[in-house]
Amino acid sequence: MNYLMRRLATFPLVLLGVSILVFVAIRMVPGDSITAMLGTEAGLLTPAQRDSLAAYFGIDQPWFVQYWRWIGGILHGNFGISVTYGRPVLDVILERFPLTLELALLSMIIALAVGMPAGIYAATHSEKPSDLGVRVVAMVGQSTPSFVLGLLIIYTLSAGFGVLPAMGEFAPLWQDPLRNLSQLILPAITLGFAFAASVTRIARSAMLDVLSDDYVRTARSKGASARSVIWRHALPNALIPVVTLSGIEFGYLLGGAVIVEQIYALPGLGRMVLDAILQRDYALVQGSVLFIAFNFMIVNLLVDLAYVGLDPRIRLGEQ
Amino acid sequence: MRILRAIFGHGSGRIGGIIVGLYLMLAILGLLGLTPHNPITQYRIDRLHAPNGAYWMGTDLFGRDVASRLMAGIGQSFTVAFFSVAFATLAGTVLGLAAAWLGRRWDGVVMRIMDVLLAFPAILLALLIVTVAGPGTWTSVIAIGIVYTPIFTRVVRGPALSLKAREFVDAARTFGSSSFYIVTRHLLLNLVAPLTVQVTLALAWALLTEAGLSFLGLGTQPPAASLGLMLSDSRNLMETAPWLMIFPGLTIMISILGFNLLGDALRDILDPKMRRAPA
Amino acid sequence: MIGHLTRTLLSGITVAAMLGVAAVSTQAATLHMAWSQDATGLDPHKQTAFSSLRLLELIYEPLVRVDASLRIIPAIATSWEFSKDGKELTFKLDPKAKFQDGTAVTSADVKASFERILDEKTGAAARANFLSIASIDTPDPAAVVFHLSQPDVPILTAMSDVNAAIVPASEIKAGSVGTKAVGSGPFKLDKWDPNAKEVLSANKDWAGGATGVDGIEISVLPDEAAILAAMRTKQIDFALLNDPLVATLVPKEAGLQLNRVPVLAYNVLQLNPSRKPMTELKVRQAISCAIDRQEVLDTAALGEGKVTGPLTIPALATDPSQLFCYKRDLDKAKKLMAEAGLADGFSATVIGATGEPPTAAAEAQVIQSQLAEIGVKLDIKMMELNVYVDAWLKGDFDMAIALNGGRADPYTMYNRYWTKTGNLQKVANYIDDTLDSLMQKGRAETDPAKRKAIFAEFEKHLAEVSPWIWLYTSYSYTAQQKTVAGFVPTPTGTLFSLSKVTIQQ
Repeated sequence: MNYLMRRLATFPLVLLGVSILVFVAIRMVPGDSITAMLGTEAGLLTPAQRDSLAAYFGIDQPWFVQYWRWIGGILHGNFGISVTYGRPVLDVILERFPLTLELALLSMIIALAVGMPAGIYAATHSEKPSDLGVRVVAMVGQSTPSFVLGLLIIYTLSAGFGVLPAMGEFAPLWQDPLRNLSQLILPAITLGFAFAASVTRIARSAMLDVLSDDYVRTARSKGASARSVIWRHALPNALIPVVTLSGIEFGYLLGGAVIVEQIYALPGLGRMVLDAILQRDYALVQGSVLFIAFNFMIVNLLVDLAYVGLDPRIRLGEQ
Repeated sequence: MRILRAIFGHGSGRIGGIIVGLYLMLAILGLLGLTPHNPITQYRIDRLHAPNGAYWMGTDLFGRDVASRLMAGIGQSFTVAFFSVAFATLAGTVLGLAAAWLGRRWDGVVMRIMDVLLAFPAILLALLIVTVAGPGTWTSVIAIGIVYTPIFTRVVRGPALSLKAREFVDAARTFGSSSFYIVTRHLLLNLVAPLTVQVTLALAWALLTEAGLSFLGLGTQPPAASLGLMLSDSRNLMETAPWLMIFPGLTIMISILGFNLLGDALRDILDPKMRRAPA
Repeated sequence: MIGHLTRTLLSGITVAAMLGVAAVSTQAATLHMAWSQDATGLDPHKQTAFSSLRLLELIYEPLVRVDASLRIIPAIATSWEFSKDGKELTFKLDPKAKFQDGTAVTSADVKASFERILDEKTGAAARANFLSIASIDTPDPAAVVFHLSQPDVPILTAMSDVNAAIVPASEIKAGSVGTKAVGSGPFKLDKWDPNAKEVLSANKDWAGGATGVDGIEISVLPDEAAILAAMRTKQIDFALLNDPLVATLVPKEAGLQLNRVPVLAYNVLQLNPSRKPMTELKVRQAISCAIDRQEVLDTAALGEGKVTGPLTIPALATDPSQLFCYKRDLDKAKKLMAEAGLADGFSATVIGATGEPPTAAAEAQVIQSQLAEIGVKLDIKMMELNVYVDAWLKGDFDMAIALNGGRADPYTMYNRYWTKTGNLQKVANYIDDTLDSLMQKGRAETDPAKRKAIFAEFEKHLAEVSPWIWLYTSYSYTAQQKTVAGFVPTPTGTLFSLSKVTIQQ
């Protein structure tokens, strides 16, 4: 409990750091909301026109005034207005978040459902041809960029089979679960493939480690069956690195999967942030980066707490 | 030498070692310009030729030899991967050791900064670095290096903390060894194993990250070739000229396979008892 | 027509996923459209992005329009007339024209709209085209008179742009232009989810008559290969494409048709004549002679386009082969370099925007390899679009690969660069008396034949002094199912003819 409080106490500090970094970063990148809207036509503006547009976009004040205004707003729950969406930043983010969350969960389910059995299988058949087979597939998975896999899937399905999930109009889960799933399953497989490959590798090596541990050997020598050794003794311990990996990966996925969202035309957080950066929608970039960072920290904290559940020997707070 | 022999005695290590060795050779040949054709010469009458006797892996949109570009690309991608991982390893080790050794307040400051970097979307970070410094090989190196620094810092700090509490460090202290000596001599030596494994993994990631940066137009600048740039340039030619995607794709896959096999072997050799990735 | 493909996933999972709910347009009356880049805003006076203009042209109307051969045709105005001295322009408005809120379009709305554009507080980039308007009279609700401070023939073409759209005076007063889309065009905007989709429905009261479809749904599919895939499975009826690499795949599909038309925009290598050694006429000419424009086009854009001189308007353009060094002449180029004292060449950096146009990086690489033959060593720097625009506007480059927009009138198109008072002189960095006086003459001349002669001279001179190296105009691409009928592609890229498009069953 003490540990939890201490960790939570660092959140505001880290978020403050993130807020300053994102605020400065997005303003240091050349170009602003005006050039983003007008492109080279911005060169036709008179100074007075420029000033009036700057005021409209809220970039007319010195940066510290802007920063102060922004932080002050956040303390009152106001993250500002997105200039591209013409709506409060938080509304826009919360509208896109369910998709990102669902996609991250689906990919993780696929990754664990495929990766864990594959990893355990490989570990228990160590250095046999079947082990090598699993490892090669896993490494192929880890080394395929998602845009290659995504494009290949779309091309094969549309040109070879004449089918493709409905692109463009995305159906939220609660409106049309079947359509929603049909739209998300391919992106989830695209993301889950590499993810499953990592899980397989980590699960395999963790299992190998644990199986060579003294207490597992003891259990074995005491006549426990191979099955019970794996399920009762080895698995719980091998889970720890898998949880670490999946947690971190899940945390990243909650930040959105830009490339997969682009290819499958999904309105997720990743594309939203990228578009916001490209369109220099400062309020939206700042708000969403803070949001993503916060989620990432929460997931990390949960992962750390999960250790305790899995391995009572770990004392939290020491590190 | 001993380590090389050990690698070649190890089943998957041998395969990994051979692959990585082969790539290193190709990379050096590519960097030295010893390729079948000049990788940036445009043989414009031979545009988009499928693989044949003159061009073993075909030609691209400009009539450049894909095989030669792949060799140059391996050179470029490996340069970026090696230097960015070296950067992250160095920065991460220094910061991780400093945090662990100096403890308390310094630990807090360093780790909170790392938290900020870790929680910050990598694309925005890369975009910022690349636009401020201008795109190019060394900018990619620094961008990828900074993104991986927090991971190395964590990898080092965890074990360093538990080593610091061990008896032999106390012993060294009572014998009057300087802090610097203890850190470099005792802590660092014991961190070699986890670091080596992390490095081989990170090399594989760095190759993919370079591909991602090139996909977004932030990586290697044309006409130079990198594996990622070749792959992302091929995307809309997938149907017209599939060889433009197949060869760089396979090249990336096999190189990552090599790094991973080598990493697994090193892990077995250096520390058969190593367990559990630290938090 | 719902195709089901049930697939069992890899071993261990029992999730059987229903794939491929390939929803074909069940209601033939709705046109399903896709593009890769979405509109960026709804204020017709402020938006300049390609997609925004294409969307707003379906909702708003200007006084006049241009047709596929760039002739001026009626829109809100049924007729127009210049006074003899060219300083008074009178419009008669269509009595049937109505805004989508039901109110009639009157001369007061026209006046208010132009006053809004001219007001510096609005921040309308198009204001620069209307500076000659001294005052606006509204003798009756159906007539508007623009009093000009000087003869200004091109102003009529500028008024055909959706950036000069007529918006309701009441909306201007309420300050809601840009948040609410109330135009007088063929479609109403029912819903806009930025970077995701637009839903448009037919405007039953449109003065132009009934539309061919009941509505248009525009989806943003950021990846053009995915757009093609969605068209293969008949999810999308009509799409805008940018990348020639993708567009050239369309004709290979049985059910699809590719429409292409050369556009007014031009791909150009901009030199910066304020930087050494491009300050030297001979160096710029040497570069022009060393570049094989056809080869740039053939390689970077798969030959999809036409080599062009500075003028891209078909009725005015000179045959490019008549222009200075449009046939590659390496000997001449080397001789010019030697005369400029640069026989050994020089180094320079060329900037380009990533993906804008999609061929930018390829053009840069071909040019780099061609210029290497006269000893010019080019360093290519590709940048994110906004970073590029920032450097471009500051004139901070040696050379730049650019895709610059074209207009239906050469004065509107080029006065920003090639007049002494041009807003973008700091980007062009080159001006001489000949260019400036020819532009002023062309602006005032009302006789079409004389105008043509003036601009032909302008073009010839511009190609000869070579501040920029004009390369080619590309095609604007639209892909459609063969069941879609009636779309007319135009050089301006407008999608306005979607108002008369029908879908056959």
